[in-house]
Amino acid sequence: MPFINEILNYDSLSIVGMEKNVGKTECLNYILRKLPLQEKSVAVTSIGIDGENKDQVTSTKKPEIYLREGMYLSTAEAHYRERRLVSELVEITNERSSLGRIVTAKVIVGGKALISGPSSGVSLRRWVEGIKKYGIDLTIIDGAISRLSSASPAISKAMILSTGAALSSNINTLVQKTKFVVEMIGLDKLEDASRDTLCDIESGVWGVDNEGNLVDFKITSALAINTIKVDITKGMKIIYTVGALTDKLLNLIAESKNIKNVTLVVKDFTKIFVSETAYRTFCSRGGNIRVLQKSKLIAVCVNPTAPNGYVLDSDTLCRKLREAIKLPVYDIVKNEYDI
Amino acid sequence: MTFKSALEIDCGLRYMYDSLCIMSSCGRKMLLESDMMTTKSDIDAYYHRLNDIYSKNCSQIAHKLMTLKDIHNTLSRLGDGTTLDDIELFEVKHLAILSSQIRALLIELNINAVELPELIKVIEILDPDRLNIPSFYVYDSYSDELREVRKQMKALQAHGDELTEEKRQELSALLQRHADLELEVRECLSQQLQAYLTQLIDTLNSLSYLDILVAKAEQIKEMNLCFPHIAEDTHTLYNNMYHPAVKAHLAQQGKEFMPVDIAFGNEPVTIIGANMGGKSVVLKSLALNQLLAQYGFGVAAQECSINPVEEIALCIGDEQSIVKGVSSFAGEILAIDTVIKKIKAGKKLLALIDEPARTTNPVEGTALVEGLLEVIESTNGAFILTTHYNIVNKSVKRYRVKGLRDGKMDYTLEVTHCGDVPHEAIAIAESLGVDTQWIDYTKKNLNN
Repeated sequence: MPFINEILNYDSLSIVGMEKNVGKTECLNYILRKLPLQEKSVAVTSIGIDGENKDQVTSTKKPEIYLREGMYLSTAEAHYRERRLVSELVEITNERSSLGRIVTAKVIVGGKALISGPSSGVSLRRWVEGIKKYGIDLTIIDGAISRLSSASPAISKAMILSTGAALSSNINTLVQKTKFVVEMIGLDKLEDASRDTLCDIESGVWGVDNEGNLVDFKITSALAINTIKVDITKGMKIIYTVGALTDKLLNLIAESKNIKNVTLVVKDFTKIFVSETAYRTFCSRGGNIRVLQKSKLIAVCVNPTAPNGYVLDSDTLCRKLREAIKLPVYDIVKNEYDI
Repeated sequence: MTFKSALEIDCGLRYMYDSLCIMSSCGRKMLLESDMMTTKSDIDAYYHRLNDIYSKNCSQIAHKLMTLKDIHNTLSRLGDGTTLDDIELFEVKHLAILSSQIRALLIELNINAVELPELIKVIEILDPDRLNIPSFYVYDSYSDELREVRKQMKALQAHGDELTEEKRQELSALLQRHADLELEVRECLSQQLQAYLTQLIDTLNSLSYLDILVAKAEQIKEMNLCFPHIAEDTHTLYNNMYHPAVKAHLAQQGKEFMPVDIAFGNEPVTIIGANMGGKSVVLKSLALNQLLAQYGFGVAAQECSINPVEEIALCIGDEQSIVKGVSSFAGEILAIDTVIKKIKAGKKLLALIDEPARTTNPVEGTALVEGLLEVIESTNGAFILTTHYNIVNKSVKRYRVKGLRDGKMDYTLEVTHCGDVPHEAIAIAESLGVDTQWIDYTKKNLNN
């Protein structure tokens, strides 16, 4: 299967699911099984609690993560004690989660384990940096359910998206929803002289005027956009929101006369929390969104089975999705792909 | 008094604590729980050890100490006879290896301030393959059967996790046997380690102690602090004393702190001087430096001689408590009363009182301060107050802030024999740029 080879081009990968039970863990296990370990040393963790035996919400069985000899894993000490593999403890890190300190170990005899790593983006980034001292070539992060933050390009350079019948049992809706997320991930990077300056800003909503000067709108986040009574797009070529991009801000700019001349900028796709309707309206009026950092979406994996037992036709789903997003789509459980 | 409670005294000790670079949480904990030293012999011995560290380059030791973890809980579980798990055994091994590395550095640098027990036996127990790396698992060499079981597990898992039902059951049985065998080994290891429990606890405490010493030595170098001389008699002396937090704050604004000299014995001392002349800063610096010396830190002065006391009382007139229903005057008077009672009871106190009775009328205020100085004719510690009142008592040592010279404040303290307070309040108010009409009327009233 080609996407394993593609993964090898990156030093960090995150796997995120659009919903619970979309086959994210199967996808991770598949990758871990196929990675050529003789070429690359691999470390695995997850953001927050994940890899439970049973899904905490829907009580469906969740596959454990299978780790091969030579891999490194980082998990909370409570889960480390329950591991079903032989591993050598190499470090007790300074990161903590609700399940205790995060420990790092090297697998001696392969087997299954529960992985629950650092619970915040910041500590995850520290982990990615810290694990390098063991000569790791590839770090893999199992993203938490409906939390895309681990896929932020600030943490991992490449990503794999899992989607499936758990999101919607209607193929067209499923394709539509997935396509929208893929579109957001695929937003182009901002090409402007102000890019480096914008990267250094830590909070608030900012503008760059037509002369290239930075303007602070003095609002803490896009959530407080109501406090602004004037047209913030006037004389601006860029509006940059450091935090979340919401429908409210998007609509505000969509209503502006200046929409065609202004570019809306966000840090990366994980900061976009807008509905598809609002986005389409925004685009139809001539608006466009750019990101400061971009992730590489390597592939989309699908699970045609919903937790309630409803099963979609795998081939139709893969085909329709592939046509819509123009990216490789795989049903890993059904097809035993070979490299 | 523990260091933690001393931090409550509003004299800038917290600033010193915050800028102290202790690497480990157990080092921090040990410092917070440490008691103030009150005897010359204790303090001298401590500074002797600190100087041993200070005179050597301990950067490598500091670097090693960064990985020191507080494993008191693990050690107390070991003491209770609990079988330690992998993570706890890792912690013990890590401590033993870290200690042996630091021990080697101490010998190399010829440092005797801290002694670390020999833990080679502990390392031998937890490192059967003599790999000398601080990682841990239940090694194959602990048990032949374990080695065999792992071999079988490995063979079964050669194909990843895709197994037939029969193989799966076989693996499951192996995993169970494996868990039992590991437990046996860990039980045996825990028993062996119990014999070294005292040494392990000593090691952890000594490393925490070393961490504190290294941090203090580093702070002395960074802040240019001094080693105090501990006086045989009851005299205190500071040359170029300063207040680190105020100094740093001024430096941020591009200004320079003007250090002061001060010396006193057991007769009461009064400090008079203009407003904004730094009198309160002098009192805070005296409290701070006394605490620094008695907790074994570098002292903020060029040189100093310190008389150890049992307690430090700093009253800077903010004892007002709305909750207790006490006014600022009552709060202050009650706080001073406590000081008098302690001195009368023979306690060796460094009492520092900022402008007592300032919130009442000047006639009674002056009388109250004079009365106070009569009560405290002499102490076995020291008694210092600042005031704006004209005090006529004879048996006091008087200091005066030089005050405004050509529109600039001179913070130098000079010994004076008359109690007349300087009349610079209006000039200072003027320099602050307040309403000119106010100043004009004030001057007119004064001349009448």
